[in-house]
Amino acid sequence: MIIDINAYLGHFAFRQLRHNTGASLLQLMDAKRIDKAVVSSAGAITYRNAQPGNEEVASAVERYRDRLIPFAVINPAYAGWEDDFKRCHHLGMKGLRLYPKWHNYGLTNESCLRLVDAASELEMVISIPIRVEDYRQRSWLVDVPDIPLEEIVALVRARPQAHFILLNGIGFVNSPLGRRDSGLPANYVIEISRLSALLDNEIGQLIASLGAEQLVLGTGMPFSYPDPALLKIEVLAASKEDKEKICWRNIAQWLRL
Amino acid sequence: MLPFTRRRFLKTTAAAAGTALAGASQLLATDTASGPAASRPEPVRVIDCHAHLHHHSSSAWKENDRKLIDAGEKLGIDQLCCSILTPKRPATAAAFRECNKWLAEGIQRFPGRVLGYCYVNPGYTSEALDEIRRCVLDRGFIGIKLYNEYFCTEPVVFPIVELAIELGVPILHHAGHAHYFLEDQPRISDGGHLAELSRRYPEAKLICAHVCGGGDWEWTIEALRHAPGVFLDTSGSVTDEGMVEMAARVLGVDRLVFGCDMSMTAGVGKIRGADLSAQDKEKILGGNLEKLLRRRKT
Repeated sequence: MIIDINAYLGHFAFRQLRHNTGASLLQLMDAKRIDKAVVSSAGAITYRNAQPGNEEVASAVERYRDRLIPFAVINPAYAGWEDDFKRCHHLGMKGLRLYPKWHNYGLTNESCLRLVDAASELEMVISIPIRVEDYRQRSWLVDVPDIPLEEIVALVRARPQAHFILLNGIGFVNSPLGRRDSGLPANYVIEISRLSALLDNEIGQLIASLGAEQLVLGTGMPFSYPDPALLKIEVLAASKEDKEKICWRNIAQWLRL
Repeated sequence: MLPFTRRRFLKTTAAAAGTALAGASQLLATDTASGPAASRPEPVRVIDCHAHLHHHSSSAWKENDRKLIDAGEKLGIDQLCCSILTPKRPATAAAFRECNKWLAEGIQRFPGRVLGYCYVNPGYTSEALDEIRRCVLDRGFIGIKLYNEYFCTEPVVFPIVELAIELGVPILHHAGHAHYFLEDQPRISDGGHLAELSRRYPEAKLICAHVCGGGDWEWTIEALRHAPGVFLDTSGSVTDEGMVEMAARVLGVDRLVFGCDMSMTAGVGKIRGADLSAQDKEKILGGNLEKLLRRRKT
């Protein structure tokens, strides 16, 4: 079983994506033997009003609810976000994706914390992409930095009852997020798509320090080829049990699948 | 898990993807491989066109070199084309000579696994030319590595290119194109510079480094469209879906050379994931570079 926690549907403002409809993403998943994927709107990253992106995703996954699990992009700095949040929950979205740098708010701002609390109350998990694409290839129109891991640390510490999934990140071994003795609650999991499985082997280091329970598989498709992330699991020096935790058991538990 | 070998990964005709938990992977196996394994010709060597052994100022250099070789082994990479760069640049002549000496020792330490690029700073013209001759003729290095000390279109680089043509060896040139000024690399070349250099020296064999190294890879591919003398190295940490296919479509598969530049699973994974035929992937994985290396005149 493989569950991909990091997938998308729709268009991205700065680059053409392929495999970005429900049907075509499923074809790609079948080719790579990925059983289920958590998807959110790629368009909502740059829409001023993210909600139409969520509606697009809800509609796109309707026929494939057994395999595509929708997450909502909510901007807690935008008017009416509370209504959008309720609507997305009503649409069956099981979690959120937050883009604080793209949507221009702080993770520990009052409105963001209210969103986190509301999601926690409804047992929705909160995923946070540390980056959308490599900043060196950014368009001349935007200059959106990666989220510093310290800002994630502050949020994780501030809301121990919430469940966070950290996507597209790197460098956790040098952060309190990568250390068991940091005093942080174990209320977050780290997705592996940008972590190394060879040479520095950050995944192996995190298994040693946090345990495989805090790692999950994500590919970033269709922004990224799914193969590099799958390959990391293949070459990872870890037990079959640990690989199963990373590939699906951990996230299945969090999403109650 | 069994170790990977090129024979295993290229002989299979089954889809390799999705075997993450099965442990039966063939690392560079393709979804599109066709024909029974027995009827297919012996696969080409898999050659990583862009790798680095480590500078000896790092106390862990020996261990890190070993890790690179082991990673290559695990991924089914037969040979790694390496250079050693100075930690601080611009490199002095003494510093690049030292790097190349260490690389020559590395080639001895890992026989058959490491191929060498001679790294020089073109600003030291006579020292650089002497060093290239020593490395290629005496030490068996396969090419030249240029970094960002100068744009590749600056006249100071031309004697290096002319010597590369004379020796019949390729130049792997550090490159990248961002839509903002890179303060730490004010003289970084991009695909446009390499295309211009290729127009000046059509017989030179240039490799534009790490298209997935973080810049706008679509820009780079477009800039190289009309520069048939420039090969494109697919290495870098970026794994954007569709990159390899676009490069194949615009430049042709014969101009693509596989590399990792130390992003090992990214390098291998993007080739494995690309929607290309097995034959095309074999060219990218090593066939094209082997052909290029056969042009050596000495």
